[in-house]
Amino acid sequence: MMLSWSSSEDGHPAEVGVLLTGEGDGGVPFGSELLRFVDASANGNNGPGEGAGGWVEELEAARRALVAATTVEFMVDAAAVIANFEMMTRVADGTGARFPSEIKAVGDSSTWTSADRGTA
Amino acid sequence: MSTDSPVDIREDLRLAHRLALAHVAAPGATLDGARRRRIGEVAIGAYLDPGPQPPWVPVYGDPLLDAARRLARFADTLTEAVYAQALAEGVEAVEWVEMVGVVIAAVAPTAFAHAAGLPILDLPTPGDGPPTGLIASPLVSATLNWVPVAAPADQTASVVQALSAVPAEWDNLWRLAEAQYMSDAQMSDPLWNRGTLSRPQMELVAGRLSLVRRCFF
Repeated sequence: MMLSWSSSEDGHPAEVGVLLTGEGDGGVPFGSELLRFVDASANGNNGPGEGAGGWVEELEAARRALVAATTVEFMVDAAAVIANFEMMTRVADGTGARFPSEIKAVGDSSTWTSADRGTA
Repeated sequence: MSTDSPVDIREDLRLAHRLALAHVAAPGATLDGARRRRIGEVAIGAYLDPGPQPPWVPVYGDPLLDAARRLARFADTLTEAVYAQALAEGVEAVEWVEMVGVVIAAVAPTAFAHAAGLPILDLPTPGDGPPTGLIASPLVSATLNWVPVAAPADQTASVVQALSAVPAEWDNLWRLAEAQYMSDAQMSDPLWNRGTLSRPQMELVAGRLSLVRRCFF
């Protein structure tokens, strides 16, 4: 878990459960503003019946709140990370990417051992 | 503009997005520029559609375009059976890999602009000329992905080898990743950052986005 690893190395271990709930800040500075920004961006196009129309105002509000708490440059780089994982999740889903442990779990004898997950 | 302050985009990020959209409209390994641009157009439209048709609806009656729409908007509904069905309907496996590369090249700049409150960038006019035919050789089956990959298979992470069958798509993917997130070398440093988000803040965004998209990565 990259959040657990990086925050521990940073000296302030994050509460990784915040990834599941999306509530609170997880012990990460501006965590709540970042989570609101991610959810507003993603949920604006998360499926039928959840169209962007209902989320435009929330995304604008989340963006303004993040900029107010940090800087425009911070928001831009947060948006870039969102874009990166909109990309990487599609690479994974579009190519049937699996972890070696999933293969081993069904009896495959794969010898791949790296713990590297790429950038996803 | 939806923020009160002017938005100044890093040049490396601006360039990566501009190059990605040019890449969409240029001839690819198996598809010409017009076909790739159409896939990009479908992907951007699907990503931003406020009321899309359900994922299983073949809106275009064209297996590659319908797969592009599904990947752009409902990626978590793609299964190996959907991939196999597309192949049964005449899509070549390498065409599928190229389609994935085109969709992500179109979606990344669009997702960025959508999140940051910036205008959605237009796709350029299609580049002339036939497909390049530049496909990795030999291609082999993988256990970590459905799609064929450049040999040898399964020696690196599944997302790393995912687009390796089509080198131009692989190159574009990692150029985008370096500008939007970080390079491979920077990834091994848990404290690396650009001076804006700390590494834990970047990982908070990455982890939450992946969860919202129901992607196990």
